Amino acid sequence: MPVTLEENDALSRIRLEGAIDIGCAAELKTLLVQALNSGKEVRLAIDGATHLDVTAIQLLWAAGQAAARSGAGFALGGPMPEGIAADLREAGFDRFPVPECAT
Amino acid sequence: MSMASNADQFKQSFREEAREVLVDLEAALLELNNHAGDPELVGRVFRGLHTIKGSGAMFGFEELAAFTHNLETAFDEVRNGRLAIGSELIDLTLAALDRIRAMLEEGASGTAAADEAACTRILTQVRRLTGVKAGTAERRPGAEMAAPTVALAAAGGPLREWSIRFAPGPDLMLNGTDPLLLLGELKQLGGLSVKASMAAVPPLAELDPERCYVAWEMVLLTEAGPDAIRDVFIFVEDHCELTIEPLIDPALKPASGAASDFALAPTADLIARALDDPRSQGGGRRTYDRPDSASSLRVPAAKLDQFVDLVGELVTVQARLSELAARRDDPEIAEVSEEIERLTSSLRENSMNIRMLPIRGTFEKFRRLVHDLARDLGKDVELTIEGADTELDKTVIDQLGDPLMHLIRNSMDHGIEPAELRAARGKRSTATIHLSARHSGASVLIGVSDDGGGIDAEAVRSRAVEKGLVDADAQLNEAEIFALLFQPGFSTAKQVTDVSGRGVGMDVVRQRVDSLRGAIDVASKPGAGTSVTLRLPLTLAIIDGLLVSVGDACFVLPLANTLECIELTSADIERANGKHVADVRGVVVPYIRLREHFNIRTPRPEIEQIMLVETEGGRYGFVVDRVLGNCQTVIKNLGRFYRHVQVVSGATILGNGTVALILDPERLASDAVRLGRQGRRAHPAAHPAAHPAVGAAPGGRRESARTNAI
Repeated sequence: MPVTLEENDALSRIRLEGAIDIGCAAELKTLLVQALNSGKEVRLAIDGATHLDVTAIQLLWAAGQAAARSGAGFALGGPMPEGIAADLREAGFDRFPVPECAT
Repeated sequence: MSMASNADQFKQSFREEAREVLVDLEAALLELNNHAGDPELVGRVFRGLHTIKGSGAMFGFEELAAFTHNLETAFDEVRNGRLAIGSELIDLTLAALDRIRAMLEEGASGTAAADEAACTRILTQVRRLTGVKAGTAERRPGAEMAAPTVALAAAGGPLREWSIRFAPGPDLMLNGTDPLLLLGELKQLGGLSVKASMAAVPPLAELDPERCYVAWEMVLLTEAGPDAIRDVFIFVEDHCELTIEPLIDPALKPASGAASDFALAPTADLIARALDDPRSQGGGRRTYDRPDSASSLRVPAAKLDQFVDLVGELVTVQARLSELAARRDDPEIAEVSEEIERLTSSLRENSMNIRMLPIRGTFEKFRRLVHDLARDLGKDVELTIEGADTELDKTVIDQLGDPLMHLIRNSMDHGIEPAELRAARGKRSTATIHLSARHSGASVLIGVSDDGGGIDAEAVRSRAVEKGLVDADAQLNEAEIFALLFQPGFSTAKQVTDVSGRGVGMDVVRQRVDSLRGAIDVASKPGAGTSVTLRLPLTLAIIDGLLVSVGDACFVLPLANTLECIELTSADIERANGKHVADVRGVVVPYIRLREHFNIRTPRPEIEQIMLVETEGGRYGFVVDRVLGNCQTVIKNLGRFYRHVQVVSGATILGNGTVALILDPERLASDAVRLGRQGRRAHPAAHPAAHPAVGAAPGGRRESARTNAI
């Protein structure tokens, strides 16, 4: 599965792998909503992702906005592949839609 | 839905859209024949080819995209004034469109690859015209998609900055289009600065994960013109908001330097200006989300047919409810019944409107036939079209192609004279085939006329006698002679050609028109031309009717034909001296007694009703006992046993479960005329007006043949 959710007592981790596109957009939304509603810190792992399409980017952006409004912890929990960063720049996004983890 | 079925669906959508684009391309190419070099037409052809190429590559039709690319290159050369458009390029492109069509169909049926020899032959000739070497034209479609418009960027225009705002429609990605690919394509035109706008992205809970909410503000520095920029978005233009505006006076910029060397210095300011544009402050709502947004859906025809069938069933049940409500003296039931009647009527009207299509597509297809036949026959012929926006039921339109094709082939081959004969007759060297459509009551009249030599009635008659179709001493008027043309195997052609002459075509026309419950009129003037008119019902499903009764029998008259109702008393009959004519405000109108016509043996009431109807042959009255009122009429086929019944176009089931025959006023009137003529011939001196309407048929009716059949 390109989109998975792993949970422990303190953390929900959403892992994206391979190409994340419209084919898994519905699943990504479900897991984002579930993770943000869990009351736990949410971490996004994209080090295995090769491509994010517009549906994925806008979902992550909306999740980041929702987390900021509710005060939930939502951050990038690992390195960002250079290919993804370049794709985002090309597509006119000046930064990744989810903030990097402060710790 | 699985990704695989999504992909199949996208491919199917592409095929359907590509077929439409091909029709438009063909029309534009044929128009170019007469308006060589018209920049608008050249642009139309270029854009059509670009759409097919771009969408084709995107949906996995790589061969098709690569093939189309060569043609697109040729028309880009035409567009830039480097290649003159001529009949050779037009003919080659028309042949190429046939190959593209075949590739689409082969893809649909899963059969082998397109006819490579034919494709290669066409490409070789196109390359010869454009001067492009084979190696450069045969790039792989994938690479082609990555850099499709480099040639446009190098068009050598002045270097300008453009502000581009691109807001994809919400379903863009569902249709298989990735907006990021378009940005990549735009980048090939020059220096591009991009900023994504998330203003329209809704909160996570409300976000539809498969819709696209992101918009882009861009600044592009390029030598390409606005058309080339717009071409990038050509196959999504109908599904997005797109504005392309120049930002800086071109005089302020040097017109040299490759686009790729450009540094994006001024763009931050320009983007800020673009973002200040009130159009980008949409409050997160785009035009697509507005309730009155114009959009369209592609629905399989079978689903629509099923829908109309169900509406037909509903109309029948609603009639039963109305009947029940009329019998029960219960105001509550009556109120519900009236409400359902109103809604059913509205639903019926809407569902029928969905099936109505303009005939333009069918007509336009024949431009190619006329063009090809004219070339093959060595004749100079132009096709003119009138009333292309006339709408009729899709079921009827679907069956019109064959009859029209046979009529046009016949006109081209036999009707239109060779050039030298036209010159000798003092006619214009370019002959005309005229296709027309117009509404007439509940019918639509489709005309095919030519300015050829006309029909030699005597030759038709002699041939019919020779073939044993009529006796040598038969007395036939011109209309009856022309009707012989539609007999199976009848042909007056001295020579059978590739085009016509086997006597099959006209029989096919008659059979198809019969199956549509239509009629054929032929009018011809020797030396001046021939006109064939097909009278077809607007719809084969549900019509507004007027329910009338004669004795115990009920009949439906199509409301579109009816004008008014007047009383007929014994005194009126006496005043007319027994003739079947009525005085309607000083105008004499012949009438037909349905009681006599259908041999209904019940006594007639003291006061009868004359329903006045308008027909192509003039105004007639139909005498009935009572007019019962309007009714929504679901047309049911009478079946093959009644196929020879001339005057009934079908039947319908009334609310009380009885069956009413739907009358065809045109046929009823012409049938009465025919019976009257026969009666006069049989008893020229003693014809007491078995069908006196005949004798009083309205004047001014042209001599014509009409073939009728169920």
